[in-house]
Amino acid sequence: MKRFYLFIFSLFAIGAQAQSLTDGLLMPKGSFCTGLLYTHDQWKNYWEGGLKRDNQNIGTITTQTVTWMGNYGVTDRLNIIAMVPYVKTQSSTGTLHGLEGLQDLSVSAKYRFFAKDFEKSGLRFFAVGTASTPLTNYVIDFLPLSIGLGSTNFTTRLTGNYHLESGWYINASSGYTMRSNVNLDRPAYYSDGQLYSTNEVKMYNTFDFSTMVGYYKNGIQAEAFYSQQNTLGGGDIRRQDMPFVSNRMNFSKAGALLMYYLPKPKNLAVRASFSYVVDGRNVGQATTFMGGLLYTIHFSNKNETIVPKP
Amino acid sequence: MKLKTYSTIAILFFALVLLPMSCKDVSTKEVLVAQAPTNIDPTAGTWTYVFLTPANITAIAPALPTAVTSAAYLAELAKIKDLQSKLTNAQRQAIQYWSVGGVLRWNQIFRELVARYNLPPAPNADGSYPAPDSENPFQDPAFPFSNPPYAARAYSYVTVAQYDALKAAWNYKYLPAYNRSAPYKVDAGIQPLMPQTDLPAYPSEDAVMSGAAADMLKALFPAAVEEITRKAGEQRNAALWAGKATDSDIAAGLALGKAVAALFVTRAGGDGMKAAIGTKPQWDALKANATNRGDIAWLSQDLPPRPPMLPFFSGVKCWSMTPQNVIDVRPAAPPLANSSEMAAEIAEVKYYADNIDRDRIAIVHKWADGVGTYTPPGHWNDIAEEYIRDANFSEVRAARAFALINMALHDAAVSCWDTKYFYFNARAVQLDPSIKTTTGLPNFPSYVSGHATFSASAATVLGYLFPAHAADFTTMSNEASMSRLYSAIHYRKDCVTGTDLGTKVAGYTVNFANTDGAGN
Repeated sequence: MKRFYLFIFSLFAIGAQAQSLTDGLLMPKGSFCTGLLYTHDQWKNYWEGGLKRDNQNIGTITTQTVTWMGNYGVTDRLNIIAMVPYVKTQSSTGTLHGLEGLQDLSVSAKYRFFAKDFEKSGLRFFAVGTASTPLTNYVIDFLPLSIGLGSTNFTTRLTGNYHLESGWYINASSGYTMRSNVNLDRPAYYSDGQLYSTNEVKMYNTFDFSTMVGYYKNGIQAEAFYSQQNTLGGGDIRRQDMPFVSNRMNFSKAGALLMYYLPKPKNLAVRASFSYVVDGRNVGQATTFMGGLLYTIHFSNKNETIVPKP
Repeated sequence: MKLKTYSTIAILFFALVLLPMSCKDVSTKEVLVAQAPTNIDPTAGTWTYVFLTPANITAIAPALPTAVTSAAYLAELAKIKDLQSKLTNAQRQAIQYWSVGGVLRWNQIFRELVARYNLPPAPNADGSYPAPDSENPFQDPAFPFSNPPYAARAYSYVTVAQYDALKAAWNYKYLPAYNRSAPYKVDAGIQPLMPQTDLPAYPSEDAVMSGAAADMLKALFPAAVEEITRKAGEQRNAALWAGKATDSDIAAGLALGKAVAALFVTRAGGDGMKAAIGTKPQWDALKANATNRGDIAWLSQDLPPRPPMLPFFSGVKCWSMTPQNVIDVRPAAPPLANSSEMAAEIAEVKYYADNIDRDRIAIVHKWADGVGTYTPPGHWNDIAEEYIRDANFSEVRAARAFALINMALHDAAVSCWDTKYFYFNARAVQLDPSIKTTTGLPNFPSYVSGHATFSASAATVLGYLFPAHAADFTTMSNEASMSRLYSAIHYRKDCVTGTDLGTKVAGYTVNFANTDGAGN
């Protein structure tokens, strides 16, 4: 019998794909930015509770994700952002079957409720609400190869942005995610020191925080970020045990992001990012690359390049 | 948009998203209810014992109780009244907790212990594996590794010891010299805080169970002594606080329960379990058996390769079968690895691996009962729990039901392990590495399926105990069996033959039950 480890699905919650939720930018009214992002996430070492280890029965876990993203400017102050990821998992050794499928639809409303401009800088605050729910009845009880954790979530987020006319900016963003209970295919499970005679599992809420420093001007964005996410409860993976859907998954990671609006064709942007988990608990030490293309359509058909604005 | 629109959106979010998901706590063990048996089985003391002999029963006779008019007994009654006048909420909760029946409660408690200790040792840096050590159970790896055969044996020891101990208690309860009513029957000033029965109180059945179960469990799960001791003490206190038993009823029951457990612990010490792991030369001999038959011998697919799980468990003493019976029921050899029959078996496993399906995975995971769970024998105890609860049995008849199920499960483990290691054949994954599984691959030979054998044996005994539901148990058992093919860890032949083996094995326990004097 083998043990495995835990796929860092939760990293996506504030991962590169979700950058639009934590950044200090908004699409202008009437514009729609859409595109596909490809994410390649890989880890060999993981934390079994606090113990860092590897496991030859899974080798390296690779998770590839293609996410459709759409961001519509309802007004200059309110954006609606939707995402749908398709996820595929695989282990490099051992006998476990990889899984794939459509994961969770998430829809967010991002609202700028405060803006103040100074002589050569500006300060913005945003409130973001995100609801997400599984689109399919995917398998959640097969970590680390499950494609998601299966809970319906609601996140409230506050983001602050301070930018200079020169293009430099700093952001800070923090979110609190409420997660619904989930149901397993089995009638009982052992977690956090207790046997539960039910298939229902309590999913503790999560808290995340990120800071970013970057430059954004003339269609070029470059950013370095650091983020931390903690699950506010749940048990550790026991020694040589399988990971479990409600484990206390914590991590902090650092990364960088680049976005570039191509001169031609107009309104097409490339986005790429990289991140690395520097510390964690019950998660894999993942290295994540993301690359994608985003195209912006302006429904009032203005003849100018549309870029998101602070 | 205006502020009003935003507020509407916010309220909708709150109503549609937040309210339905507002952090529901999940309760752990809500399935049991207070038991008030209609038939208290006064003749249970005459039912056939599984292990105890008449000499054993004479040797463990309790001291004679004092008369209900004696000063000592009156003082005990006064103490109960005093305790009842100042019960705390925690004490009332303990009474509630144990009023569902000690047999059902202890079954829950040890399913949790099995799940806690069902973790294989992690490999050393050099690729070897440390062995759990009963003399040092707290270290890593913890002792025991309560894998399916270990668990099957453990469940059977606890349930059979409780069952024989309760029969012995019933025997004395109804002997005229011992027959003493419950405190709440003797003194109207004592409130019955658990459902009332006419069962004599000396020796206390709750204390008997606490002693028998706790001492067996302490031997099997030595690292959990503290919580086992706590639970046992609480059960006795609950009987006292509830007006069910006095101090002397309890002392006599505890002594009897512990005396019975001691006899079972002695049996366990010499039942062959100590030799079940074997040695490297013995493992090599098993491999040679398969090779000499012209088959491809099993190889561990764990990385690094792990020694086989309890290869000589076949030598452990059964409850209802003799060693010769185990050989008699051993199925014929599986097809050889390079035969055309095996090629077809592998192709079918490969089909399920390459065509995974959500509904089949649900079946696989429902019955997987792998690492960190209460194991397949535990799952069948879990299934049995509801039927035993709803049958509203007396404690001794509930103990009989669990004992019979677990005797068959243990004998199934012995017979299945005998077959697995006699043939020592390869898993489909070993013969075709492109096959991937939807649950963890167990670390022992393929033929026959343990899940199929366990499930058929438990389902057969459950069908005997609850004939109205026999068809349901068979359906469950067949689903559990086929789940192993769907997950690509077993050939169909392993499943079908295992089901057949489990059914035969359970026949021996059903034969025992048919003539044990309990009726059905």
